[in-house]
Amino acid sequence: MINYIMRRLGYMVVTMVIVAVLGYIIMELPPGSYVDAEISRLRMAGGNLAPEQIKAMYQRYGLDKPQYVQFWLWISHFVVGDFGQSYQYNMPVNQLIWGRLGLTLVFSILTLIFSWVVAIAVGVYSATHRYTIPDYLITAGQFIGLAVPNFLLALVLMVFAQNVFHMQVGGLFSSQYLNAPFSMGKFLDLLNHMWIPIVVIGASGTAWLSRVMRANLLDVLNMQYVQTARAKGLKESVVTWKHAFRNAIHPLIMVLGSSLPGIISGETIVAIVLNLPTTGPLYINALLQKDMYLAGAFLMFLALALLIGNLGADILLAWVDPRIRYE
Amino acid sequence: MAEVATPFPQVPVVEEPVSEVGQLSQWTLMRLRFARNKLAMIGLFGLVFMYLLVFLGPFVAPNEYTNQNADYIFGKPSQFTFIGPNGRLGIQPYIYQMTTKLDQATFKFVFVEDKTKKLPVNFFVKGDPIVLLGFIHTDIHLFGVSLPQRVYLIGADSIGRDIFARTLVGGQISMTVGLVGVALSLIFGSVLGTMSGYFMGLTDDIIQRTVEVISSFPTIPLWAALAAALPPVSVSFTAMDRYFLITVVLSVVGWTGLARQLRAKVMAYRSADFCQAALAAGSSDSRIIFVHMLPNAASHIIVSAALSIPYMILGETSLSFLGLGILPPMVSWGALLKDSQQVSVIVQHPWIMLPGAAVIITVLFFSFVGDGVRDAMDPYSI
Amino acid sequence: MGELTGSKTIVDLDTILRINNLHTYFYTDIGVSKALNGVSFDIPARKVMGVVGESGCGKSVTALTCLRLLPKNAKIIKGDITLFRHIQKGNGNSAIVDAVTLTNLDPMGQEIRNIRGAELAMIFQEPMTSLNPSYTVGNQIAEAIILHQQVDNAEAEKRTIQILDQVGMANPAAIFKRYPHELSGGMRQRAMIAIGLSCNPKVLFADEPTTALDVTTEAQILDLMRDLQAQLGMTIVFITHNLGVVAQMCDYVAVMYLGRIVEQASIEPIFYNPKHPYTKALLNSIPHAGSRVRDRLQPIRGVVPDPYSSIKGCPFHPRCNSFMPGKCDQAVPATTQVGEGHTVRCFLYSDEVEK
Repeated sequence: MINYIMRRLGYMVVTMVIVAVLGYIIMELPPGSYVDAEISRLRMAGGNLAPEQIKAMYQRYGLDKPQYVQFWLWISHFVVGDFGQSYQYNMPVNQLIWGRLGLTLVFSILTLIFSWVVAIAVGVYSATHRYTIPDYLITAGQFIGLAVPNFLLALVLMVFAQNVFHMQVGGLFSSQYLNAPFSMGKFLDLLNHMWIPIVVIGASGTAWLSRVMRANLLDVLNMQYVQTARAKGLKESVVTWKHAFRNAIHPLIMVLGSSLPGIISGETIVAIVLNLPTTGPLYINALLQKDMYLAGAFLMFLALALLIGNLGADILLAWVDPRIRYE
Repeated sequence: MAEVATPFPQVPVVEEPVSEVGQLSQWTLMRLRFARNKLAMIGLFGLVFMYLLVFLGPFVAPNEYTNQNADYIFGKPSQFTFIGPNGRLGIQPYIYQMTTKLDQATFKFVFVEDKTKKLPVNFFVKGDPIVLLGFIHTDIHLFGVSLPQRVYLIGADSIGRDIFARTLVGGQISMTVGLVGVALSLIFGSVLGTMSGYFMGLTDDIIQRTVEVISSFPTIPLWAALAAALPPVSVSFTAMDRYFLITVVLSVVGWTGLARQLRAKVMAYRSADFCQAALAAGSSDSRIIFVHMLPNAASHIIVSAALSIPYMILGETSLSFLGLGILPPMVSWGALLKDSQQVSVIVQHPWIMLPGAAVIITVLFFSFVGDGVRDAMDPYSI
Repeated sequence: MGELTGSKTIVDLDTILRINNLHTYFYTDIGVSKALNGVSFDIPARKVMGVVGESGCGKSVTALTCLRLLPKNAKIIKGDITLFRHIQKGNGNSAIVDAVTLTNLDPMGQEIRNIRGAELAMIFQEPMTSLNPSYTVGNQIAEAIILHQQVDNAEAEKRTIQILDQVGMANPAAIFKRYPHELSGGMRQRAMIAIGLSCNPKVLFADEPTTALDVTTEAQILDLMRDLQAQLGMTIVFITHNLGVVAQMCDYVAVMYLGRIVEQASIEPIFYNPKHPYTKALLNSIPHAGSRVRDRLQPIRGVVPDPYSSIKGCPFHPRCNSFMPGKCDQAVPATTQVGEGHTVRCFLYSDEVEK
């Protein structure tokens, strides 16, 4: 088992290096740089810059050096924790990203848990109650969940919450709690604001997962060992959960890794609609403004989160399926 | 004593009639199975209808999609009635003429139907000049009222443009970007996946690492970064060019799934008897790949394509919504939804969400068809 | 030995399970399949009863109906199954203490679940797929013991290792911790038998337990089953299509065709004095020792009919060499006695018609 983990970690490091190179290339693709944009902004405002000043600006931002040198500077600082300076906000990227990344992580994990719990419950129920009305309703719900774009769902839910429940749902806290000290009321307000993002981000993932769960469980319920379990005299619920479910969950854990990109991506967009202080809004803005260090740092961390998530999924699978451990 | 072998008694041969059942080809069987799936057929007809609708959009919509009407900013959908000016119920539809009135409470201008003025809605009326399918110039619309009045089926947007018309024209982009993106993904995915599985060794390693690296990036952030890299729309880089590059961006992530699956299939086929036989008979690599392996994998590829289309459509919609996809003057559903980012706007003018409904319905139909294709191919594929 | 008839009300003291006029139908999209169409027989205690027939004749369905393990689209239309509980009286005889009508029980209820595994057990054909790959062999056997015998884990483990030893596993303590995929086919089937025996059932239904095994392993498993049956005094209902196995194992035989029992007898009359044309044809179709080189095998002509179709009259008549037109295609023959404990359903021996 330890060998397995060490091997996967090794692969991860290699992949991370390639991700860094690729990420850097992508960051540098847009023509021009922040400095150029800044210069044209100054020019349009009527000011003008002497060539020495321009050169000084380039130097200050390290843009006069060849690309591979810039890359090396960036990556060597990155691994020790210096992520560079944000052009827009004129402060170290460090200060800008930690809070947001942390919140993204929190949302992602909560959404993952929510998604899985609901998908398993719904999937098992619809597999064991085939051809009943709730099963048809669930199938309809799954199709719709997969078809609705998450930002649209966020908008609709916001409108609903605002009109029907008269709740303020943007951001993390309502205005009255924003700067208030921590209290039960503030905590409840936070929960109130969190459920919409979690439901919205998780919606399409949950729909897809529950369909996979249903299909897997149906396959397993047809297996002979389920009949053996029943023949022992076990209760149907024990047969379903102890025997069938345990084997139906394998393929699901294998795809655990693939539900992660959806969650992180979804979080990016939904956060913009719901005005949450997570990576999404800041990242997209940084891209539009060509704030390279900020955008680059975000992209790297998001990729890292995904890789770690996949590693976790692989380890979980090895633990659950005794056959894989001996590879 | 040697045993004399008795010859076998001659048994008369009985001709058994040849069974007709095995005559249907694999593709015919798949087609029949698909046709039996009600949801899939609904999806198929729905999609055909929608494609017709959007490509004949300029004709079907009563207004031209870029026409701005300062008098009708965020105007509501026209109210229809079947009661004529003489007060009697008939088959001729009418709409109430809209006037603006100053609301005494909020001091804002609101639209109020003038119930005294009824405008008859006719078919094949003269309206704004339009260009249909790129080459037909006409000014006849499917239905409408006589100019200068206008009928707004689903209301108007922030500068008075007909949302119905814009949704139909936007559909031309949204419903084709997905197809082009999927086609590109298919080509990349099939070629690279097959190469990876067939040649194995170093080729396989390189392609697999690439697939892993691309899959390590979360999709929307990656698309956003690539889309942000595209140059702004200008004379040398038209909106059309941007459209094509967006499809390329979308397919950059899309090909990895198919590549992985095909690699597994090709590796399985490689050791299958029919490929070994072809190898032993001296077939070249390309012959084995194109004549033997790919036709068997064809059903799998088609299913993968069908299931990827909704994903691509949602991707383009999301990107355009963020302002990174299709940019004005080109119009797509995602770009149209960009206008509706404010909750206050939606609450007061819910009709601007129509493009969202169009996305949902299209993706639903594609999902039905995709599922139907997968179920139809399943029992007959290797 | 008592009389084996299906319709008498007098119950022989040695009968442990009585199946009476059982009709089980399966309802599907394509039609209704009459899997059991009037099955009646008595299973004598402490003996091996063989149930023989081609695929699809209803042998497995009979066993599944006894255990109430049928799928949701199956229904017991008519008939009943009764389990007789005996005690040993001091003078060597046993007396019937209690009778449970299994067909009246709720298939998901507590009562039938108490009986399943503890009094009636079943082992299945495919040892590869009959064991859950995610749990150890020991766990799966102990599960049944804990469920029915209310003992703690340690005690269950002890008993499991005992049973593993009884079924002939070398090193039972080690096998306890193994997963099914680590065992060979023969060992898996032994594990399956261990599960079946774990709670000392009165009746063991064995549904083609050796069909998936190679002949050497098959011989070992059959030996094992015979030994265990003698040791434990257990009743075995042995379902198979292999007449050779029947000859080795069984004391009594019931021959089934298309949902009905067409002939029943103890082992010798079946093989040396078969009455029903189907039984005769089955026995003729297997190769005989002593036949000449180049003798042709004699298959039964025709094919097993579509289970969704209905055949008028005796279901075997389209394939029967003794077909009597006007009689066999008009009505179904009733079960009649043709010898000591030997019954047949055929118009060759009686004109009685099934009601």
